[in-house]
Amino acid sequence: TITGNFANVIHGLNANHLTDQVIQRSKRMILDTLGVGLLGTSTEVCHKVTQYSKIYSSDISSTIWGHLDFRLPPLYAAFVNGVAVHSMDFDDTWHPATHPSGAVLPAVIALSEAFPQKEKISGLDLLLAFNVGIEVQGRLLRFSSEARNIPKRFHPPTVVGTMGSAAACAKLLGLDQLKCKNALAIAASYAGAPLANAATQTKPLHVGNAAKHGLEAACLASQGLQGSKQILDMESGIGAFYTDYNPQTLPTLQSYPWLLDQQDVAIKRFPAHLGTHWVADAASSVRQKLVESHENLLPLDKIEKVILKVPEVKYVNRPSPTSEHEARHSFQFVACSTLLDGSMSVQSFASENIHRPALQELLRKTQLEHPADNTPSFESLYCEVSVTLRDGNTISNRCEMFYGHWRKPLKKEDLEKKFQSNASSVLPAEATEGILETVYNLEKVEDCSVL
Amino acid sequence: PEETVTSSFASFIHAVRPEHLSKTVCHRSKRMILDSIGVGLVGSTTHVFDIALQYCRELYSSVAVSSVYGKPGVKLSPTLAAFTNGVATHSMDFDDTWHPATHPSGAVLPALLAASQMLPPSAKPNGMDFLLAFNVGLEVQGRLMHFSTEAHNIPKRFHPPSVVGTLGSAAATAKLLSLSTAQCAHALGIAASLAGAPMANAATQAKPLHIGNATRLGFEAALLAARGMEANPLILDDIAGCSGFSAFYSIYQPKPLSTPSDHHEFLLEKQDIAFKRFPAHLGMHWVVDAALSVRNLFINYAGSFSPSLIRTIVLKIPVSKYINRPFPSSEHQARHSFQFNACTALLDGEVGLSSFTESSIHRQELRELLDKVVVEHPEDNVANFDKMYGEVALLLHSGDVLTGKCDTFYGHWRKPLSKESLLKKFRSNASHVLPEEKIETIITMVDNLENLSDSSQL
Repeated sequence: TITGNFANVIHGLNANHLTDQVIQRSKRMILDTLGVGLLGTSTEVCHKVTQYSKIYSSDISSTIWGHLDFRLPPLYAAFVNGVAVHSMDFDDTWHPATHPSGAVLPAVIALSEAFPQKEKISGLDLLLAFNVGIEVQGRLLRFSSEARNIPKRFHPPTVVGTMGSAAACAKLLGLDQLKCKNALAIAASYAGAPLANAATQTKPLHVGNAAKHGLEAACLASQGLQGSKQILDMESGIGAFYTDYNPQTLPTLQSYPWLLDQQDVAIKRFPAHLGTHWVADAASSVRQKLVESHENLLPLDKIEKVILKVPEVKYVNRPSPTSEHEARHSFQFVACSTLLDGSMSVQSFASENIHRPALQELLRKTQLEHPADNTPSFESLYCEVSVTLRDGNTISNRCEMFYGHWRKPLKKEDLEKKFQSNASSVLPAEATEGILETVYNLEKVEDCSVL
Repeated sequence: PEETVTSSFASFIHAVRPEHLSKTVCHRSKRMILDSIGVGLVGSTTHVFDIALQYCRELYSSVAVSSVYGKPGVKLSPTLAAFTNGVATHSMDFDDTWHPATHPSGAVLPALLAASQMLPPSAKPNGMDFLLAFNVGLEVQGRLMHFSTEAHNIPKRFHPPSVVGTLGSAAATAKLLSLSTAQCAHALGIAASLAGAPMANAATQAKPLHIGNATRLGFEAALLAARGMEANPLILDDIAGCSGFSAFYSIYQPKPLSTPSDHHEFLLEKQDIAFKRFPAHLGMHWVVDAALSVRNLFINYAGSFSPSLIRTIVLKIPVSKYINRPFPSSEHQARHSFQFNACTALLDGEVGLSSFTESSIHRQELRELLDKVVVEHPEDNVANFDKMYGEVALLLHSGDVLTGKCDTFYGHWRKPLSKESLLKKFRSNASHVLPEEKIETIITMVDNLENLSDSSQL
């Protein structure tokens, strides 16, 4: 069965299978995710779940990233950190679409902290488990053609992310084949959250829960709980989340071809839905041209209308967002914000910036168009920003590939810059440096709990 | 502003009062509470329960205020107690079933019990509050199921308790905790993101987790909403291009709930529940009753039950893959096997707890009978708990044919268990873990639930 095949692969993959490229790419993902998570611990949504999770405490415990002052049981640490990672929609995105790292890293780190001293987990173990979690997600996403496009029904991290987390934790726990299978089966029963909660405060919980529930599934499997032996094979298994579902067996372990080798992730430069990154790059170029031809000032009052040519993605189409969550899921907001400021940053989504009169005015002049050739897929979409002035002149720019996309990945310095900027909001400089060091040398680290 | 479906639900949850409960509804829901407790108590003796409990104890300890079925002295944090008790309730597939199909009580009761223990002494809900919250949880589940014609038939994709049960638990807990209307809406929204488990895990040891998680996660959703977490205020509405609760159905037509004015008619008033007489999937109950009646005919015919006279056993059942298992090998599979239950009934003259032990499942005589079984799916036998029937025909070597058919088994909502039968089931279940006086105390307490001043005593 495919399910059995997955279990065999999860069980059988070892550090020797990791290629250099996979190691390099996954370390970038880990670094970015940590930074994003550290920053995210300062959000309101994260405060709420931390308060909530404090109801639970125990002897075995793990930490919240950046906060060593108290500990939580691994499950809740995974949950809180997962929420932190996705709290600002600043985390990585893959193709087919999901946020792979946030569902996996918090779980494996929390789990690794919970191991007793004598059974320390090495950096390489962590790296391997992390990659198992990513790989499983990627493979599952390829079982349905629906997954190629931006989702409409279920939020992908809650479907494949939960499974990835379970696989990664099963790997870290060293479960046998049967238990790996059961971990996947149990995880499926936790999977699946509808998309409607995107652009609300609840969305970050999707990633938090994926991490937490995957971990729970692995723990329950470890204790002997059994589920369906054909969870990945049956239509009434993980297939329940898709209208077309065609599972396939994984390749053999001999020189295993990791998906991360063939397909990199996109790293976000500012905290908003990936679709808005195209818009930002296009708007930035348009602004440049406008400013150049108007004595280095933005001629705000001369703007007649702004037209955005974007793919049709309902949950990112918001003409006048009122909350930060909505603003992060608004083509219009990001376009106008970029036109005004030149670039997007974490600050762009602060309440006072969302409600600026100048921005509101520009938003009123903004419209969307959905050209037929603009498919809602992160692999092929484009965004075009056109600003028409009162005098009839139109300045436009089209962006097919934003900087940070997998076809145009962030350079090392820029990745580090993002990390530093994020991490320094909660950690002192030496700690930030320490993490950078550790992640870069992850394969050599003996005891990854130093992380 | 035009009222959305979601806000109508939130308003209902918030505004409904004990006065709105009719006598029938009170009566029926108390029966459900009693049965659910009993089933949970006996469920605390199962292996799956042990795993869940062990897990919770290992990872969590303090704020341990909520009790666990059958384990006096053990306390867990509220949501984990709810989880564990929910698992217990569904561990043997012995809990109640409604129409449209779901297991309503197991998804709601454990959360309420745990929550009432969690509240401080000055804010303890009384029995009436408890009964009301319980009914809110049921009502929301029922109303949600009426949003899709898919829900009328035995499920194929998502296991209903994991879909509607989670929201029912969120609603019930929100009610018990007296959340504001807005918070009730958010509780539903958060719960939706925690709902939905695929059917494939039915007939496995993981199935009880569906109820355990429904009650626990719905509870968590309410707790998060109480702390200010916000979700999509249109989660139950039909939003084009971006699925809310509709994600779980292919056809979805939501309808608003009327605010409870003088007469809110609860669904439980019109549609009663089915209680199981033995721990197996509801569908089994039809074939068992049919098998028992044909067994009687057979004994009259042959003087005693002589399997060697039987050439073939024909079962006429509706089409439903996950309960059609010719040779089940585990107790979980056996509980989801028309063939197994029919043959056990023929062989033993009854089906009970002990029918599902390892030794019973693997009996030689039973295997021989199973070998003779042939399954047919008549077109008129719809996979729907309101309309299906079970027919068992014995084709004898002599050429004679004996048939038994069951349209409505005893325990079905059209032929409800009598009070004595329900109590008998409860006593039998509870006696596995509780002494007699405790059993009687519970019975009395539930019977007088409206008058109870502090429901955490339960």
